[in-house]
Amino acid sequence: MADQTTATGPGGVPDDVWDLLPGYAMDALDHVERQAVERLLASDADARRALDEYRDVLAAFVVEAEPPAALRSSVLAQVQGTPQVHDRTAGTPVPESAPGGGSPSAGGSTAATSGPASSVAAPGRASGADVVDLDARRRRRRRWGTAVAAVAAVAAIAVPSTIAVQVTAERDRLQEQAQVVSEMLADPDSAVLRASVEGGGEASVLVSGDDMFFHAEGLPELDPDKAYQLWVVEGDGSVSSAGLLALRGDQATALVQGEHGVGMAVSVEPESGSEEPTTAPIVVLGA
Amino acid sequence: MTIVLNQPFVPNAMSPTRRRVFVGQTEKVASPPVRTSSHDAVDALLVACADGDPASFAPVYDALGPVAYGASLGILRDPDHAAEVTQEVMVEVWQTASRFDAARGSARTWVATLARRRAVDRVRSEQAHRDRDQRDTDLRTNESARDVVVEDVERRLEGSAVRRCIEGLTPTQREAVVVAYYGGLTYREVAEQLDKALPTVKSRIRDGLNRLRDCLGVRHG
Repeated sequence: MADQTTATGPGGVPDDVWDLLPGYAMDALDHVERQAVERLLASDADARRALDEYRDVLAAFVVEAEPPAALRSSVLAQVQGTPQVHDRTAGTPVPESAPGGGSPSAGGSTAATSGPASSVAAPGRASGADVVDLDARRRRRRRWGTAVAAVAAVAAIAVPSTIAVQVTAERDRLQEQAQVVSEMLADPDSAVLRASVEGGGEASVLVSGDDMFFHAEGLPELDPDKAYQLWVVEGDGSVSSAGLLALRGDQATALVQGEHGVGMAVSVEPESGSEEPTTAPIVVLGA
Repeated sequence: MTIVLNQPFVPNAMSPTRRRVFVGQTEKVASPPVRTSSHDAVDALLVACADGDPASFAPVYDALGPVAYGASLGILRDPDHAAEVTQEVMVEVWQTASRFDAARGSARTWVATLARRRAVDRVRSEQAHRDRDQRDTDLRTNESARDVVVEDVERRLEGSAVRRCIEGLTPTQREAVVVAYYGGLTYREVAEQLDKALPTVKSRIRDGLNRLRDCLGVRHG
């Protein structure tokens, strides 16, 4: 619940950012305020829940009205020629048909509704990167233990300076990716986190607001019945699937949008993927 | 913009015990609201269309097009502009269907959120145009196009679920919430319009929405 007296978060989120949540839901904030709210949302499941509630309140202002009849065929015709922005990964868990069973801490599709820039998904925007169908996944989750506890402690994404000085080359390489990644890089608050992968390879993630661009290379080939599965680590230490990684050679990329994660992790799972991790992570990015 | 919002709203006859967002309709509603019973079904339709079959989008349009159009019309008031925004919104719904997450809210709320954002964007770009035009022309009849007056707000609220809860706000909360919602204004602009300090406006809107939330029985988690 949106209790304005909530103590400051681990990232030092001041109370008055909570006061901005209604304005965020109403699109009534300026750019700086919006970024402050997005940082809060990234680290605080209660804030996300409060936002969802405000959105329900605002939706209650809406009086449904029949659009002009001609609009129907016009929209349906345009839809015919418009690709969807996701690339559904085989084995990605499907959502529960009945809503309401989600965990209270479920993070989710806020990118789709978190800001004007991220909501406008132009056709082809995702070209060059796999957009993981995060939000359709089942939202069952569990705590993963100490491996992610350190990540969770970094409530607001921060780059340790020793890593930050090494990331220039990584940033340059990522710049060649899709437009969305360029936009993420243009964000002065973006950060690149990287780490070695247990068993071989390097992984990195570019974080900008609610968007995360994951890249790994040098990954060893797995047995045919195994797959690399990507996970989003949230501020409370819970993890949720971001789908299976499709290897191209020894590389894999994934663009994950709208997740209020504080980091990412990869584990080796059965080839069809798991609803929750069944093995220890081979890499954790975020701390 | 002129704000004339000092009379109480007339309570309507809806039962105060109903909690769902989709309360009953009035004769002013052009199409029946999505009923509570079909709420989950609409969510499921939206999830299903994320699989990429354009044919599966037709029922989604039929169920949620009126939400997008109603949200746009409430803010823009001009049917042509509202239709254009509705087209943009519904194509966006199709494109980004995979991002809908039923655990965080209904399909109706998701579409209303997308529609509101685009409608507000349009209000602001129109306002920017108007401001430019205004410099070159004398007073014009449409100068008060964005006025939010109480009769108008009452008419726009008619049939909405918040109608019965609005009168539970203090007059100052109501004023701030209504101006921010229908005016498509930023906090800063609301503060200027109402000639109040920014923190005052923020807390009024926050307290107002919190009251509406409690009155509507909106509660997640």
